[in-house]
Amino acid sequence: MKRGLLSIIALTALLVSSSAWAALSLDMQALLEKYRKEADVKSFSAEDGKKFFATKRMHSKGEERSCATCHTSDPRQKGKTVVGKVIEPMAQSANKERFTDPKKVEKWFKRNCEWVLERECTPKEKGDFILYMTSI
Amino acid sequence: MKTTRIHKTLIAAVLGVALAAGANAYADGDDRDHDHGGENHARYKTVENQLYKQECSACHYLYLPGLLPARSWEALIKGSDKHFGENLALDEGTSSEILGFLKANSAEKTNTEWSNKIMKSVGSSTPTRIMDVPWVIKEHREVKDAFKRPSVGSASNCGACHTRGHEGDFETVKVPK
Repeated sequence: MKRGLLSIIALTALLVSSSAWAALSLDMQALLEKYRKEADVKSFSAEDGKKFFATKRMHSKGEERSCATCHTSDPRQKGKTVVGKVIEPMAQSANKERFTDPKKVEKWFKRNCEWVLERECTPKEKGDFILYMTSI
Repeated sequence: MKTTRIHKTLIAAVLGVALAAGANAYADGDDRDHDHGGENHARYKTVENQLYKQECSACHYLYLPGLLPARSWEALIKGSDKHFGENLALDEGTSSEILGFLKANSAEKTNTEWSNKIMKSVGSSTPTRIMDVPWVIKEHREVKDAFKRPSVGSASNCGACHTRGHEGDFETVKVPK
């Protein structure tokens, strides 16, 4: 009986953790698998993605920047670019178009990682970020 | 039964009037364009390009290509890895299509009173911001304080005041509080 309960819990946990990925298209899953191999990790962490999203960094221009600077602290909300244009929510639960096109995802990582971090993002950062955005 | 018929007639009549009014409004607009073309010096033809829209208007106002000379667009796209502090990460195919579109519809190619004024005003310079065109700066002298309002954001947010700018109409202006 106890063992049965444990396996149910384990199965539920597995289902919950994989449900975010299940919503992703096959080519998005392939992109994540590529990141995972490059990062040499077993899996990504939505918790790390959340921290990454909120972490402020002093830019060489003398201002603090983070993902949240434009996307707000809640990625389910609309954001604003530096010149005031509205950005649709990043979280897939609020905007189903997000994280559907690997080319677009890669392009925006390149653009925005440089804006925030003045470098490219690492595969681990990208994977965590996507997991966070597709699981909240 | 009779009431229903009256109702139907009434609805038809109202619809008819509404349609006629709509058509009339459209015709009026049309007349204005054709008969008094000279008054519509601020009117540009709307031009569209999906890639331009996708790549550029994600971050900022979708500037009409006719607001800058071709050499400005060339400078902007060639320098897109350092676009006001950002790397736009445009691949070669994307940037060449966008530049082609911008050059084909630039101020030299757009025969409006405004584009002619812009061309005259820039002389031999290559402005990379519309707000660097001397004539455009002059035209905004009286409203320059409004650029700082939160409802406007910045001088690059044309649409905040030029509410019909996306249709090529820059004459309709409503400065938000």
